[in-house]
Amino acid sequence: MIVAVDEAAERLGLHAGLALAQARAMHPALEAIAEDAEADAGLLEKIADWCLRYTPLVALDAPDGLTLDIGGCAHLYGGEQQLVADLGARIAQAGFAYTIAIAGTIGAARAAAHFGAPGSYTGGEERGLLAPLPLSALRLAPGTVAALARVGLKRVGDIVDLPRSPLTARFGGELLRQLDRALGLEHEPLNPRLPVAPYVAEQRFAEPIAREEDVLAILTRLAGRLQFALERRGDGARRLELTLFRTDGEVRRIAAGCSRPLRDPAQIRALFVERLAALADAFDPGFGFDMARLSVLVAEPSPPEQIGIGGGENAAEADRQVDQLADRLSARLGSRRVRRLIAQDSHIPEIAAANMPAQAALAAADAGWPAFRQFRAEAGLAPRPLRLLQRPEPIEAVAEVPDGPPLRFRWRRALHEVIAAEGPERIEGAWWSEHGGHPSGNLARDYFRVEDKSGLRFWLFRSGLYRDLMREDLAQGAAAPTWFLHGTFA
Amino acid sequence: MHYLEFATASNFSFLRGASHPEELMAQAARLGLAGIGLCDRNSVAGVVRAHLAKCEQNLPLKYHPGARLVFADGTPDIFVFPRDRAGWGRLTRLLTAGNLRGKKGECLLHLDDLLAHIFGLELIAMSGNATLLSRLRAAAPGRVRLAASMLYRGRDRARLARLKETARGCQVPLIAINDVHFHHPDRRPLADVLACIREKTTIERAGRKLSANAERHLKSPDEMARLFRDAPEAIEETLRLSDELTFSLDELRYEYPDETIDGFANAQDALTHLAYQGAARRYPSGLPPKVRATVEHELALIAQLQYAPYFLTVHDIVRFARSQKILCQGRGSAANSAVCFCLGITEVDPDRADLLFERFISPERREPPDIDVDFEHGRREEVIQYIYGKYGRERAGIAATVICYRGRSSIREVGKAFGLSEDTIGALSSSIWGGGGDGNADLARAGLDPDSRRVRQIAALAREIAGFPRHLSQHVGGFVITRSRLDEVMPIGNGAMPDRTFVEWDKDDLDALGILKIDVLGLGMLSCIRKALDLVDHHYGERLTLATIPAEDSAVYRMLQRADSLGVFQVESRAQMTMLPRLKPANFYDLVIEVAIVRPGPIQGDMVHPYLRRRRGQEQVTYPSKELEAVLSKTLGVPLFQEQAMKIAIVAAGFTPAEADKLRRAMATFKRVGTIGSFQRKMIDGMLANGYARDFAERCFHQIEGFGEYGFPESHAASFALLVYASAWLKCRYPDAFAAALLNAQPMGFYAPAQIVRDAREHGVAVRPPDVNHSQWDSTLEPGPCAAERLHDLHRAMRDDLRANHAMRLGLREIKGLSEEDAKSVVARRDVSYDSVRDVWLRTGLSPRVLERLADADAFSSLGLTRREALWAAKALGRVGDSDDDLPLFGSNAGAAAARTVSREPDVALPPMPLGEEVVNDYRFLRLSLRAHPAQFLRGDLGQRGTLRNEALRGLANNTRVKISGLVTCRQRPGSAKGVVFMTIEDESAVANVIVWPKVFERVRPVVLGARYVAVAGRVQEESGVIHVIADQLEDLTLLLGRLAEQGADIDSLARADEVRRPIEDQREAYALGGRNRLLRLMREMPELIGDLDVTAPGSAHAPTRHATSPRV
Repeated sequence: MIVAVDEAAERLGLHAGLALAQARAMHPALEAIAEDAEADAGLLEKIADWCLRYTPLVALDAPDGLTLDIGGCAHLYGGEQQLVADLGARIAQAGFAYTIAIAGTIGAARAAAHFGAPGSYTGGEERGLLAPLPLSALRLAPGTVAALARVGLKRVGDIVDLPRSPLTARFGGELLRQLDRALGLEHEPLNPRLPVAPYVAEQRFAEPIAREEDVLAILTRLAGRLQFALERRGDGARRLELTLFRTDGEVRRIAAGCSRPLRDPAQIRALFVERLAALADAFDPGFGFDMARLSVLVAEPSPPEQIGIGGGENAAEADRQVDQLADRLSARLGSRRVRRLIAQDSHIPEIAAANMPAQAALAAADAGWPAFRQFRAEAGLAPRPLRLLQRPEPIEAVAEVPDGPPLRFRWRRALHEVIAAEGPERIEGAWWSEHGGHPSGNLARDYFRVEDKSGLRFWLFRSGLYRDLMREDLAQGAAAPTWFLHGTFA
Repeated sequence: MHYLEFATASNFSFLRGASHPEELMAQAARLGLAGIGLCDRNSVAGVVRAHLAKCEQNLPLKYHPGARLVFADGTPDIFVFPRDRAGWGRLTRLLTAGNLRGKKGECLLHLDDLLAHIFGLELIAMSGNATLLSRLRAAAPGRVRLAASMLYRGRDRARLARLKETARGCQVPLIAINDVHFHHPDRRPLADVLACIREKTTIERAGRKLSANAERHLKSPDEMARLFRDAPEAIEETLRLSDELTFSLDELRYEYPDETIDGFANAQDALTHLAYQGAARRYPSGLPPKVRATVEHELALIAQLQYAPYFLTVHDIVRFARSQKILCQGRGSAANSAVCFCLGITEVDPDRADLLFERFISPERREPPDIDVDFEHGRREEVIQYIYGKYGRERAGIAATVICYRGRSSIREVGKAFGLSEDTIGALSSSIWGGGGDGNADLARAGLDPDSRRVRQIAALAREIAGFPRHLSQHVGGFVITRSRLDEVMPIGNGAMPDRTFVEWDKDDLDALGILKIDVLGLGMLSCIRKALDLVDHHYGERLTLATIPAEDSAVYRMLQRADSLGVFQVESRAQMTMLPRLKPANFYDLVIEVAIVRPGPIQGDMVHPYLRRRRGQEQVTYPSKELEAVLSKTLGVPLFQEQAMKIAIVAAGFTPAEADKLRRAMATFKRVGTIGSFQRKMIDGMLANGYARDFAERCFHQIEGFGEYGFPESHAASFALLVYASAWLKCRYPDAFAAALLNAQPMGFYAPAQIVRDAREHGVAVRPPDVNHSQWDSTLEPGPCAAERLHDLHRAMRDDLRANHAMRLGLREIKGLSEEDAKSVVARRDVSYDSVRDVWLRTGLSPRVLERLADADAFSSLGLTRREALWAAKALGRVGDSDDDLPLFGSNAGAAAARTVSREPDVALPPMPLGEEVVNDYRFLRLSLRAHPAQFLRGDLGQRGTLRNEALRGLANNTRVKISGLVTCRQRPGSAKGVVFMTIEDESAVANVIVWPKVFERVRPVVLGARYVAVAGRVQEESGVIHVIADQLEDLTLLLGRLAEQGADIDSLARADEVRRPIEDQREAYALGGRNRLLRLMREMPELIGDLDVTAPGSAHAPTRHATSPRV
């Protein structure tokens, strides 16, 4: 089902509600992008957060609208018109199409914005504004709108003067409630997306700031302002949020909690230093921030005793300690130098373990090795060497045809007499991959574990099968199997 | 060296096995194995196919059907093989027990189940667990073996040595297996893809879920001996086990139920008696000698083959249906025998229609007779329940249908396994009327590069997986009835519906084993005919049955010759309507031909035109030889029926009837690559030997080949033709009753109610809207004007033929979204006419929502209420709060309270609804409008655009350029028409037929597929009174409908036969999925593969494949 179309698609006569298969049948070259309602909602929320720069009272009007209560804020911008101009310019700059309407009621403003009557309306103009608009301009369930249309009532003006009781009896109380709210006959509270913080301090900058030090300096200054307010009521902050408004419209929100209520700007600063460090690359100023706000989200009166951070001596803790070690080593030696072998889900030995930067690997580490061990145990497979050669090294070997182990082989010029062998473990290439998965090509391999006279143990394989060599359709270009040494056992 | 592979999984181990059973059998024979044991996971669904492959190709193999038991309680897998028939019965009961415990497609087995059914089974345990082995050995002494496999896992020899120890310790023999999952190592990619589908992952991510290597394929005895050189006894054990197993599926043959009838010594006596009793009824003036001879001959054959119980079974079911006044009609080769006519199974009088009955059971073919019985679709369930009641669930069950991967589903699944995005897969698999044969174009449209290695892999694997079974489902009406317990013949499993069980084998399997099956199918037309006959009886006092409808009524043929066939069985399609005026059927046998000729087979075999030319006398009727004249004289020398093809093979090429039957089966399904080639040689050589010219012989064969896969037997055509005649007679004489019956039998046929109603009105029938005070649930007849007086000009020729003098009152069933139960309560409480919406509500207690439905459908007009007024009133009912479903309070003062509420309400004047909007609403809530046609409101605009009314087409000269317009009612692109799109459009004056050639289609594709209202510019083409407009240009005028009302552009006027709304591509693919044709198709779609196909593709074409069974035509 098509949920939205761009202009080009609209010109082709496609519209929301059409089945995708049908649309594709009409225009086979159609490009369709799967609907991601979550992402859409997320984007709307981001825009809502960005609008917090104008007023703390921003409500979502999903799926594509926002309601801002600008009562008492507009003067900061030099009046409503200027605020609209600023908001519009910035939204357009971010690449969005928009309509903005200001009215005395949420319902009227929304109706005007959605149904093509942008502008600014003062109280009392609602009736004239709404009358020619379709009933869907009132926030009504689609079923109600359809039901009204079926009895011939299609515009707000059609119902505004009708006797109220028959309407309510037929279409429910919501119809007139929305009408009254839009007309300002009934008060409607705004339901902001974010709770309004008890303590807020904010600052705008004429010149955007980008450096971390500058941000921390501003933070300290804002914390200083909050300290005053907190002390006055005997509160401390348990949860803080630093909101940074980027010039391009991105909004960064960095929350920090502490176990003990804080007021001291230095302590608050220290808290955020840690948080910022943890975010590392996530702190991306772009072209800089032009506004910062520090909010206390949770405040508490009396400071309790600090509780120590303890931890059980369990495996999870041990893992965490390894991770912490990796963090510290990476910090000191550089993150590319500290590496870990991470188990990969593959039969092919050189792919079965990936050598990755330890920090990057943290997320991938999870169940790789236990799953690997479990698989080999259940299948009764022999152990592999702990480390493999950088790449398999060709050897000369004498072996029994077609799948016997080597009797002797020469590796790095030394001749080894095999006295014991186990195998083969046959591993074929990844037929779906361009290179067959094996760097050496898509040939099947027969792996053997062998021991030579001197007690050295090797892992080697025959590359290519006699089975394939004997087949007419593959024989062309196929060479006789060759041998490689892939690793040694300690 | 000798070896049998006992652990063989076919692709009936769904998403695990990667070879068809037939491929495994053929490869086993090729490798020189002594035999094979087929055992799928908790299933024997594939064993019959393997059995058939062995029998048909005479493979020198021992074959042991069995199963791999996979337990739900953690017990390691065990292979089981029945020693004998009794053991087989226990195996199937064991599997049944597991099946019935699980959901559909699930088999939950416990070790205890095996222990309870272990007698007569030979076991191969997969695990060396000593406790398990000793338990098994205690339960089945001497019948337990321990499996050993050498699958290149690195420590195979050590493992084998350990297993030897275990086997010795537990005193069970060791047996070599290779745990085969495919017949050839080249199937590894397919096996990997299947694993991805199974594990819902992609090939890149699957990792260790895939096999490390391709060793689980069939290996030669020498190779197995080499691998097991440390334990040669394990190889020998396979031969010993094979010697223990004496069971063959052939032992299941002829499990006919005992049909003993009191007073008769045996079934044959009873049948003979019933047949002659029936004959006396059929021919009151005495049995014609020809028929008597036929009956005698058939009865003798039946006696010889002991088929009497089968006929008695069918007779009994038909007798039951008759007793319940359920209309039914037999079909199939045996159905049109004289015996069946006498028994009342069919109504095709062997004396009236001189039919060929070559396919009627013959002693050479050890195959059960084939009788399908169609019943009224609405009442089929009663028949099914009767069968269950009579035979019990222990002896009767429903056959399975093997659901296979097909073009779309295979590309979808393979694409997913390769990690293609949902969108790309969607584009690949859902394109309606894509490429037109060029698969590369479809790939390119989906944004894929057809030349890339990966895309070629996907396409190749998708082709390979096509035809693989994906799950078993329940057949629509195939019943299997057995003499002994059904679950001792085959396993039974749960269906998707509760209390529905079905057996594991499909109809082909049952057929092959000679197990009695009877198709109990639902046919909408039978319901329609029965309803029409009832209406004629009730309103005109004429009591008719299928058999007593006046035969050979010339008015009926006159009507059909004018292509006036909307609603008539089988000949109502666009293609048939084009054919009727050309063929001009004038007797019953012409209808038989009419039914058979408009089929893909004759069309592709290019038999239609020769036949038409000969029929019109434009071409001389010649026969290649005297013998063939006898075969082909009825069809003017052009073979049209399957029976004729067989007869040609017998008469001209010296086939035995048994060989001819093989040819028929090869033709019917083309299941096996290569088979048809050998038939070709045999046939052509045979004809040459009999003195026919090579050229003629080849043409004959190609003709047979041409309609082979769509072959339509004359016996089916005859049964169908009877229904064609019956429905046409009703339409011709009583269009009122016929239209009402058609509406009441919906959904069926090609057309939607709007077209049926339009046709009825054009035939002079007054049609009245559904109304709460006048309508029943069904459409009914009311006294009305004489139809003959009101005929549309088009049909004035039938003025004297019509007997209809009733108006049709549309039933409440035409109201969208109204349930039968609610409608019936409106009817039931209507002792006195309703006087208000509120009155209806208070009397019926229906929810206000239902009354709104009625109001939307304008069903209160007899109360003097407009649609909006009725809706306004309905909206006010019982709504205290916002709840929609408050019910009225019944009680003594309910009426008074209601009156009070009403009187208190102020008046509200609603704006009146414009006529255009009324029409749009009619379409929205009734799917049709009796008021006006939407085109009427657009005439001004249409005139400005220079479009004519469709009726103006009649009388225009060929090739005149015109512009017409209309609501789109149907779009079809028949597979046999090489990409040509047929559109049907209608305006207020007439229906018009439009042809869009592929070149034009590509240009106007969005309009053809998307528009509801179109203007068509093109040329007029008239032949035999059939007028087409060949489109040059199409214009989408849907938006004009928006002027009628907001929802005007959503007017739905599509017929049921519209292929854009209901794509039938899958079905078509099913037809095309026959071996040779599949290759052709493949080459057409992937031209780059032609080179590959010259050489045998390794692993894929090594063994011929059996594909999805083609549905019956």
